Amino acid sequence: MTAYVVRRVLLMVPTLLAIATLTFFMMRLAPGGPFMAEREIPGPALEQLRRTYGLDRPLHEQYLRFLANAARGDFGPSYRYQGRPVSEIIAEGFVVSAELGGWALLVAVLLGVPIGVIAALRQNTAVDFGVMAAALAGVSVPNFVLGPALVLTLSLGLFWFPPALWEGPASRVLPVLTLATAYVAYVARLTRAGMLEVLRQDFIRTARAKGLPERTVVFKHGLRLGVLPVVSYLGPAAARIIMGSIVVESIFAIPGLGRYLVQGAFNRDYTLVLGVVLFYAAFLMVLNLLVDLAYTRLDPRVELS
Amino acid sequence: MSIGLAPPATVAPDLAASPPRSLWSDAWRRLRRNRAAVLSALFLLWVSGTAALAPWLPGMPDPSVQDLARGAQPPSWSHPFGTDELGRDTFARVVYGGRISLLVGLVATLVSLVIGVAYGAVAGYRGGKTDEVMMRFVDILYSLPYIFLVILLLVFFSRSLVMLFVALGLVQWLTMARIVRGQVLSLKSQNFVEAARALGAGDFAIVFRHIVPNTLGPVIVYTTLTVPAVILQEAFLSFLGLGVQPPDASWGTLVSDGARVLALFPWLVAFPGAMLSLTLLCFNFLGDGLRDALDPQDRRDVN
Amino acid sequence: MLPRSMRVILAALAALSLAALACAPDRRGAGARHAHYFGDVSPPRGQVFRYNNGAEPESWDPGLCSGQPDGRVARALFEGLAVPNPRTLQPEPGMAERWTVSDDGLVYTFRVRSGTTWSDGTPFTAEDFRWSWLRVLRPGSGARYASLLYPIRNAEAFHRGALADEAAVGVAAPDDTTLVVTLESPTPYFVFLTMFYTYCPVPRHVVERYGNRWTRPEHVVSNGAFILAAWRQGDRFEFVRNPRYWDAAHVRLERIVAYSVDDLNTSANLYKAGVIDWTTSGAFPSQFVPYLRAFRDYQHGLYQGTYFYSFNVSEPPLDNVWLRRALSLAVDREAIARDLLKGSRAPWGNLCPTGYPGYVHPPGHRFDPDSARACLARAGYPGGRGVPKLSLLFNTSEDHRRIAEAIQAMWRRELNVEVELSNQEWGSYLQATTALEYQIARRAWIGDYLDPNTFLSCFVTGDGNNRTGWSDAVYDRLVREAARTLDPARRLAILAEAEARLLDQAPIIPIYHYSTNDLVKPYVRGIWPTALDTHPLKHVWIDHDWRMRAAGAAANGAALGEAR
Repeated sequence: MTAYVVRRVLLMVPTLLAIATLTFFMMRLAPGGPFMAEREIPGPALEQLRRTYGLDRPLHEQYLRFLANAARGDFGPSYRYQGRPVSEIIAEGFVVSAELGGWALLVAVLLGVPIGVIAALRQNTAVDFGVMAAALAGVSVPNFVLGPALVLTLSLGLFWFPPALWEGPASRVLPVLTLATAYVAYVARLTRAGMLEVLRQDFIRTARAKGLPERTVVFKHGLRLGVLPVVSYLGPAAARIIMGSIVVESIFAIPGLGRYLVQGAFNRDYTLVLGVVLFYAAFLMVLNLLVDLAYTRLDPRVELS
Repeated sequence: MSIGLAPPATVAPDLAASPPRSLWSDAWRRLRRNRAAVLSALFLLWVSGTAALAPWLPGMPDPSVQDLARGAQPPSWSHPFGTDELGRDTFARVVYGGRISLLVGLVATLVSLVIGVAYGAVAGYRGGKTDEVMMRFVDILYSLPYIFLVILLLVFFSRSLVMLFVALGLVQWLTMARIVRGQVLSLKSQNFVEAARALGAGDFAIVFRHIVPNTLGPVIVYTTLTVPAVILQEAFLSFLGLGVQPPDASWGTLVSDGARVLALFPWLVAFPGAMLSLTLLCFNFLGDGLRDALDPQDRRDVN
Repeated sequence: MLPRSMRVILAALAALSLAALACAPDRRGAGARHAHYFGDVSPPRGQVFRYNNGAEPESWDPGLCSGQPDGRVARALFEGLAVPNPRTLQPEPGMAERWTVSDDGLVYTFRVRSGTTWSDGTPFTAEDFRWSWLRVLRPGSGARYASLLYPIRNAEAFHRGALADEAAVGVAAPDDTTLVVTLESPTPYFVFLTMFYTYCPVPRHVVERYGNRWTRPEHVVSNGAFILAAWRQGDRFEFVRNPRYWDAAHVRLERIVAYSVDDLNTSANLYKAGVIDWTTSGAFPSQFVPYLRAFRDYQHGLYQGTYFYSFNVSEPPLDNVWLRRALSLAVDREAIARDLLKGSRAPWGNLCPTGYPGYVHPPGHRFDPDSARACLARAGYPGGRGVPKLSLLFNTSEDHRRIAEAIQAMWRRELNVEVELSNQEWGSYLQATTALEYQIARRAWIGDYLDPNTFLSCFVTGDGNNRTGWSDAVYDRLVREAARTLDPARRLAILAEAEARLLDQAPIIPIYHYSTNDLVKPYVRGIWPTALDTHPLKHVWIDHDWRMRAAGAAANGAALGEAR
């Protein structure tokens, strides 16, 4: 077990290296640079800016210096936000995105799993259809429509919640709901599929034959294996959701991590983008590792390779 | 009329050994029973048909005709879906938007299909070191936040429709490759592969003429489920301003533009949004139905 | 009957929903609405002012930053020699009590207030100005607006590295309360320039100690009306009153919260819900304007900016002046402003906007399809035959796209000229316009000071903000001559001549005149629409008795606007 974990952690290094290289050179290929503006920056100022950020050095030298620093956790200063180190920006944004994502995942699981179980138990009936339709509707309505719709009705219409910003418990509700609806659908569908498969298995038939009540069969024996697809989905889903949904953060003015990716690409903020991408990648890999470990706990048949 | 020989005892059909056709007709029967899937398929046929034939349908207004003075009008007899801020007929915009959205969905999915199947089949068939290296590469790409890849791609190169197809297709092929590889891995040790090899078929023929057709089940399911994902991603890109270029519009651009003026002109988001959601819903139902029909007992891949 | 665990889960969900409802904000907002105002009109408790500052600033170091959001923060914290009158923008004494100009217009002597200090108690002297300006001009500074200091003698040479001696630059502080500035040539708008944030002083002891982290709330020290108490990236700034500010007695606000909300709709929603008291200009899309005009808290004014299309004249076919004229004459600006922009902006045919006292605009471009067709024929493309397909570039934005689509249709209809629209994201768009890799591009220019020179100087040959490849010796000569002219009336006349020349050669198509569109809550006093969209926050205060005053004013028949 320890050997497995160590091996997985060691494997992260070359992956991160590859990602860093790919991203570094992709960013530099984009037309324009970090100091372009509608108003021209005078020549000497521009040269000085480039010199301060090391942009006048040859490309391979910049790349190597970046790698050396990144290995120490120093992603450098942001090109756009003067005087702010990227690691600081990421840390601040991550705290917020993690909270937003955490709530959203919780809601997704709390709503999605029961929906999936109900649909599986009543397969191919009106209940199955209706419940899955409701869940799927969540994934079919883009969240940049759902968000404003919720704000219009629940916030500006009924005054139940503030329309935006991230202060106070009431402000969490609408963004979390908007973010969670898509994931509710996926979780529901996965639970349904997982439960359907599990309930056909031999050991379930055995349990039933033993005379155990249906509830025990389904929940004690079935659910444990039936949510396995959900567990392995949670890994990448958590990373994606915690990265922050760019849309939700934009609509609700939440200072999370997600929009730095997009804004950074638009602003050619090389260091910020590299930092966020590497952070995301590392986070995703750690989560995948945790998910794989959890998988073995739940399903004794599975072995770590 | 008996001739003295005992009739053979009925044996349960061995599905693996029977020819593919009965699997399909089995699946077809199961699918037909799934009313949601059937209705969805019909709806999708109707939508695609209308979208495809739009320029030739009688009575279809021109979506690019502007009428600045009238501006955004709510639905009326002359404009059943209302007009947008430039006075263009929303109904026509929705229909033509469907052309673009469905085109993007289908072509990008096709791109991911071709790349994913080829990649996964090769990796699975080769096995060993090649497989490990190829899958490692997939893992690396999986770790990149896809949206970033797409944004960079759209930023470096032009924002043409073709680039959009390629960019979105390049994101989706990863999971397809994984699915196909898994299937190929389990199939390549089967009897019929040995038989083909014994008959002297080359590797390429074995892979693409014998194995891949047997992976079609999960591939079809995943393809049907990829289309709505791609359409939704295009909508998201439109929200960021990276989607389809003006004056063309997809449902994505219509919806993201309309969402901004939701409080003032709700019909601008309601109609394209409804079409988009219904279409996505139907694709999802159809995909789920296909999955139930084609391999109800197979291990499901995480979507 | 649902299994027990299912019921438990449902009960938990129900409890969660009730808890969420219980946390709902005070429903007082619902009752405090007023038919004439957009949304909630209950004022915050105490003298607290909240507004939306727009996108997150890159920096608020006044000497180095650029951009509206950055500038607003810088102006709240720092004050220059003069401050703008909140209504007219005319310079009023700031850190300088008074100033005199020599007869030749080249030497300005400022008397800096004595006995003032920075917010940490350090004494403030004229030397702070000299040091801060030289800091901006040092070649290594990276200051984006350094060129605003170029009117000072030798400033440009020093900044470009041609001159090494700081003492040669025309600013001196002979004693603690005197600042003497010597200019390159008479610059009648120089005092206006000193109100710009690049000219604001910065605390030397803090800057030298903390380097580029000196603006953080825990380090920063200000000489303006407010101190930075807190800041969170992408979220908000919090300012509190600076008790050591020389005019602190007249500052009524205790606290300001400036949110960094990017999204226009979100900003409007926050205003409607009463979370913010002011949305800064440009913070909502133009389609909202006709709807908002009905409300009394909507303020509208002219803004020193022009929206235009620029041509890349360095390559055919747009090097043909008749083709350019034809394209400009075929644009129906009135229709765009009226129908598309819903009257939120004024159609405009000139480069320089209005608002310059004494400046008489030359006749501008207008909509004349017949002349347009005649020019097209004169260009060698009668009836539009033979015109290659042109490309029109703009950066991603709703309004830009709609205008581009409308103009595309106009050119097709009137001239039979086909244009392809190209929508690029910001970085690529900037790259393309700077490197002249476009044919027609959407551009805009905002004035920095109240003088036509801020617009006209851009189109001099080789200027970095030209971006059209247009080079005209006559124009260059006129602009340079104006810079040397002492007599203000004569100077403005020469500038008008220059503008006429530019309009005649048509390297640009002016389209509309920017305007400010603000929403200001009725209980907020001290915010007036101004041409430069600057609002010194020291004049703002919350009037908790606004209803009585409004009722009184209505009873007296006075216009509500005057009550401010």
